[in-house]
Amino acid sequence: MLAELAPPPTTSNRLKTTAMNNRMVTAYWDDLFAAKDNGKLVCWYEGVAINPLLQAMDISWCHGEAWSALLAAKKEEQPALLASEERGYGRELCSYARTHLGTGILRERGQIPGSPDHEHIAGRAPAPDLIISAYPYCSTGQQWDEMLFRLFGKRVPVFNITLPYIWGNGSSHAYMQGEEFEDAVKFLTRQLRECVTFIEGVTGRKFDWDRLSEIMSYTKKAGELRLEAMRMCKARPAPATFFEWSISIAPVNFLSAGPEIVEYFEKLNAEIAGRVASGTGSVPREKYRLFWDGIMNWGKLGWMAEKFSGYDACMVAGRYTHMGFWQEPQVIDVDDPLEGMARNYLTCPINHSAPYMIDRITELCEFYEIDGLVMHGARTCRAFSNPQFLIAQEVSKRLGVKIAMIEGDMIDPSFYKDELVNSRVEAMLEAIDARRGLI
Amino acid sequence: MDHGQLDKMAEIAASPRDYAVAFKARTGRKVIASYPMHLPAEIVHAAGALPVVLQESTEEISVGHGLIYPFYCGFSRSTIDQAARGELDFADGVVFGDTCVQILGSADVVRVTHPEKPVYFFQLLACMRDSWTAENVEETIGKLRRGVERMLDTTITDQALWDSIELFNENRRMIRRIYEIRRRNPEVIDATRLQDVVKSSMVMDKAEHNALLSGVLEQLAEKSGGPGFRTRVFVSGHMCHAPKPEILDMIEEVGAVIVDDDLYTGLRYVSTDIPENDADPIRAIAASYVTRNANIPDPTKIDPDVDWDGYLLNAVEASRAEGLIILMPKYCEPHMYYYPEIKEAFEREDIPHLLIETDHEQLPIESMRTRLETFVEMLRQRELA
Repeated sequence: MLAELAPPPTTSNRLKTTAMNNRMVTAYWDDLFAAKDNGKLVCWYEGVAINPLLQAMDISWCHGEAWSALLAAKKEEQPALLASEERGYGRELCSYARTHLGTGILRERGQIPGSPDHEHIAGRAPAPDLIISAYPYCSTGQQWDEMLFRLFGKRVPVFNITLPYIWGNGSSHAYMQGEEFEDAVKFLTRQLRECVTFIEGVTGRKFDWDRLSEIMSYTKKAGELRLEAMRMCKARPAPATFFEWSISIAPVNFLSAGPEIVEYFEKLNAEIAGRVASGTGSVPREKYRLFWDGIMNWGKLGWMAEKFSGYDACMVAGRYTHMGFWQEPQVIDVDDPLEGMARNYLTCPINHSAPYMIDRITELCEFYEIDGLVMHGARTCRAFSNPQFLIAQEVSKRLGVKIAMIEGDMIDPSFYKDELVNSRVEAMLEAIDARRGLI
Repeated sequence: MDHGQLDKMAEIAASPRDYAVAFKARTGRKVIASYPMHLPAEIVHAAGALPVVLQESTEEISVGHGLIYPFYCGFSRSTIDQAARGELDFADGVVFGDTCVQILGSADVVRVTHPEKPVYFFQLLACMRDSWTAENVEETIGKLRRGVERMLDTTITDQALWDSIELFNENRRMIRRIYEIRRRNPEVIDATRLQDVVKSSMVMDKAEHNALLSGVLEQLAEKSGGPGFRTRVFVSGHMCHAPKPEILDMIEEVGAVIVDDDLYTGLRYVSTDIPENDADPIRAIAASYVTRNANIPDPTKIDPDVDWDGYLLNAVEASRAEGLIILMPKYCEPHMYYYPEIKEAFEREDIPHLLIETDHEQLPIESMRTRLETFVEMLRQRELA
């Protein structure tokens, strides 16, 4: 608690362009809050970014994880968490789900004692007119949407998309290759087509395929620019950090796709290229280069950025940011985008079994010349936590990188213990120094 | 009553690995370990191997701590620990489905710790009522058949599948008959004894188990069971693994008697037969999977047409139970999601229920006893009122 009151000195050199991201995010949420006043249908969905299908039909959307992250970032998650706890959801359940379900409870059943909903952002999310579940890997996603469906009295039409988990039954399987993967792509593409039919049924209008192509052309371009900018962070010092890439997820996750998201990544690229040219690092005195494995702790994003910067440690890359969010834009055919969308959804950073995950993380660590892995064991996100011991052991063995296992959560602040984090990170940095022969 | 058959079942239920090892030595056949809940084990049996459902061990977690976080259900942690300690050595392969995200993590560890062992994954759809559910489930079961054939380097004939289906159906029917007897006269068999019956069925060769069951049924049919002064309760929950026998014993020691359940190591395991009148055994297995939610709703699969809470209300009434005891393994996400639905339904209908959280580690036995005693006393007072 004392540490909360006295964070390390601010030393990070944040990208200026991210201010544009913040403006786009604020405008997006304001639009969503006004959706019903503007006569728009609202879809609640979880999991992969199926929002292009909604945008093509002028449906507003509320992505459960993004919504929960917003509340956590604003320190406003508690009314929703309390509402879900009061209904009986255990606190070991996914905190994204608890926050989103809590929002649903506040919306459907009115305010809870002591927490007038009109005082909180949680009370401002418009109720859903349709629900789409599209969760990769994690069983909690489908159940979370099922509970929303039941919470709203089974009145709201729901569509369930099953994303096959890429396990690798056959010996010929490799990343984005093999019979198992191609079968999964076919099945998911079929479900996306059925989802389009579902949306047509809810709206009573024919699906606008031309609009989807246009949207996906912006998304594809933004995705390509983002990867290009990420690769520039191989430079020493790295011009941007994992924490800045976490901020920059919004345009390739839940914001509307249009010229603005392309412009954002163009500006970001230009700023990063300028930094590479001038030798400017996001962490001014970059001494350590780290990789973040696991989901972000949204309530502590800025806090974490400053903490690591205070150690002269640059979190250069991460599984969450660098292996997800239109991470394979080259496979999207904008004229017929569903299959390419499916390929991206299926290769998101939790939907592969550990051996493939380990190979991809090893490649990233080699490319970015990483010294240490910070494994963020998010208490209630077992989808991300599942393979972390296996990743830590194997990547450490292959590359000699050092490891810090820390615990926290993406939303629920009660699982985070700052002094434990400090001591584990410091121990890892000392181990890196020892490996370099500095101590 | 001669407890010979029940004692034999209890012995095997207590040590599934010993049975599997002895089975291999005795028959020369292979053994396939499976994660619980979704595997149609008939396919493994039809391939000539022994299917064994993995069980939570009574051992404390040791080396498994180094492979998974502590905030996982006891079953996941225990299977990881068993794998890390080499206790899955009896299995020639492992089969698992997408029961929940923790099971997926557990299977990943098993494969990494046993690279020499084939670990086959099959994914049955999350939703039981999509327009493509039936077709996809049939396709997945067909793939599973081919996967098991590859694992065991054999061919599974349709006739072998039908023979296995008939054998397994008979096993399910006999266990359900025990349940019918218990509903009428719960004093004839303790809950822990019944758990042994089901658990041993998950482990043993079905023909051998059926022979034991015949003897048990004969004896139960002749048993009077006593006057039955205890308070009738229904026990729900515990997917994947068996609740510790101490808990079932405690429930029955504090003045209650368990008259029915929907436990996986209980009625859930035998709830649904595979139809024997289809032309295609794979289609028949798929049909059984898709329809079983109507018998006992499965919270690991979503089904907008079925309500676990509604099922439990009906089941409690049908079994003339006075209250519901929910046994929820700590960190069991599917169960945690559905609990508020059940809680609200039982409060609405004014039927008492008690939630008990269980874990792999030492349970707070005395506080649990106090809660159970209070609950049972409250049920008694309501009966008298």
